[in-house]
Amino acid sequence: MFSDPWGFFILNPFTNVLLLIYNLIGHNFGLAVILFTILIRAITWPLTGQQLKGAKVMQDLQTDKEWLDIQKKYAKDREKLASEQMRIYKERGINPFASCLPTLIQFPIIIGLYQAVTRALAATPLTLLQLARSIYPIMNAAAIIPLNSHFLWMDLGRPEGIPFPAGFSLSFLPYGFPTLAIIVAVTTYLQTKLTLPPSTNPNDQTASMNSMMTIYMPLFLGWLVLNYASGLAIYFVASNVLGIVQYAMMGRVNWRNLLPGGSEPAPSNVKKNK
Amino acid sequence: MSACSSAASRGTSWPGLTADANNAYLAEGQYIYAARLSDGSKLWQYPDKAGSQQFFAAPLLTPDGQLIVGSAGTDQGLYSLDPATGKEKWSMPFTGAKDRWIAAPLVINDTIYAPNNDGSLYALKLATGELLWSLSIGHPLWGAPVTDGKLIFLTSLDHFLYAIDPQSQKIIWKVDLGGSAAGSPALSADETTLYVGSFSSKFFAINAANGSIRWTANTNAWIWSDPSINDTNVYFADIDGQVYALDASSGQNSWPNTTPDGPITGSPLLTTDGAIVATESGSVYSLDHNGKVTWSTAIGGKIYTSPVASGNLVLVAPLGAQYLLYAVNEKDGSMLPWHFDGK
Repeated sequence: MFSDPWGFFILNPFTNVLLLIYNLIGHNFGLAVILFTILIRAITWPLTGQQLKGAKVMQDLQTDKEWLDIQKKYAKDREKLASEQMRIYKERGINPFASCLPTLIQFPIIIGLYQAVTRALAATPLTLLQLARSIYPIMNAAAIIPLNSHFLWMDLGRPEGIPFPAGFSLSFLPYGFPTLAIIVAVTTYLQTKLTLPPSTNPNDQTASMNSMMTIYMPLFLGWLVLNYASGLAIYFVASNVLGIVQYAMMGRVNWRNLLPGGSEPAPSNVKKNK
Repeated sequence: MSACSSAASRGTSWPGLTADANNAYLAEGQYIYAARLSDGSKLWQYPDKAGSQQFFAAPLLTPDGQLIVGSAGTDQGLYSLDPATGKEKWSMPFTGAKDRWIAAPLVINDTIYAPNNDGSLYALKLATGELLWSLSIGHPLWGAPVTDGKLIFLTSLDHFLYAIDPQSQKIIWKVDLGGSAAGSPALSADETTLYVGSFSSKFFAINAANGSIRWTANTNAWIWSDPSINDTNVYFADIDGQVYALDASSGQNSWPNTTPDGPITGSPLLTTDGAIVATESGSVYSLDHNGKVTWSTAIGGKIYTSPVASGNLVLVAPLGAQYLLYAVNEKDGSMLPWHFDGK
């Protein structure tokens, strides 16, 4: 236990829950990954709510007249600016880390989910041995293994691709046309774009970083899916779609971001709505 | 997310090892290495520069002087190399399988029989690698096949042991092992009985003619290791680290308390003095005919690959140790002064 706390508290429980779902629904690993992602999203729902609430408060603060005034007034005195910011936080009962803490708690959960999917697919002898050790005795591992990795047109244990016509090949796409990689890239783009808070300041560095993320994150995940087991891609797609649904249910999806120019920063002289 | 992408690496496993009287052939990561056993120097590596290949399966030395090895990388190639030079012998590798090669192939006369992770057994011309036929079995095939000269016996992760007739290309019989089987069966010297273990924590003696079960023995944990046989006993180990010496005719265990220092996935190497096993804890143990430890040598890393004999040497290929290949003397376990690092 203490030699591997990550495995004991996160990875092994996650792997076993995933396999339990797989067993309960009749040995469909793709569906098990989707249900497992829904389960994790449901468990972390309150954390996401807190995170959004905290982010909203901080976002509103960016348009607050007093806040903007001290930014301008103490632009060259960082120490004074910090103390004034702290004063405003204190006066209004704002915790500037309220949106970060839930994210920090969720992060290991997301990593654990991702690793559980990878481990359960056990594509090599070494990973199968690791899987064998992480399955609880009550699960009857011998009956479960090998997992049925076929889902729709995919073998979830290997990268996805629809074979090219005979005689045609592309060396950088050894598995064929990467349908799933494209779906992952598109859903990642949509999720990132739709859930970005509207920027209120044209000089906002965070907005600039978010804008970069909108481009690079879909490309990065798409690249991952090109090279890794498609079971992970199912997780990415499920997670992206559920993320959009969850934000929509909380009223936090910015559909305008999908329109050309929709994510342009709002004018900086926006008056605070109190 | 990028931090954990390395954890999702699509290809890591333990090395495959083969040796002849003079050289060792090591399938390790992105390369096949040939090492001279007299001094541990490198003869060659294949390929020269890392590509899409990834090698886990033990290379197979064929009677006509080829080294056949399959790749678990995205190339999905089965290669024929010249053991002397490491150069490719076929005009092109066989790339007709749908998945990776994790098991070593088998050669009978002029045909290669190669099980693939796509669940099919491929029969290829030994001389050229040209596909003759393939037989779809189902789930991934990770164990090297064995033969009595007529039938091919092959385990599958689908829980079954299959007997396949290469002439008719049909399954003659199959037997349920109660769990996946990732290792190879062993055939008795008289070629009448097959011995095989599975993840069901059971070990089976099976009539090679018709697949009927002669006896079964319970074990403490999953069996990954291939069995080794002598005149009277069949030896294997489980992943809890227990070593078994079962009477070949009755299944009675004469080594009930032989547990070295860690899980064992490799096959016991039989010697005139007993058996040698390598453990995940990174040690090599020599056991006498009563299962008592006569010597042990700490190598380091984690050892999953079966130890391989070459003359009086025992070769060990650990995972994650300082070197890729070590050699110890069979009689006393003393380590040779050279260690092969692949450079």
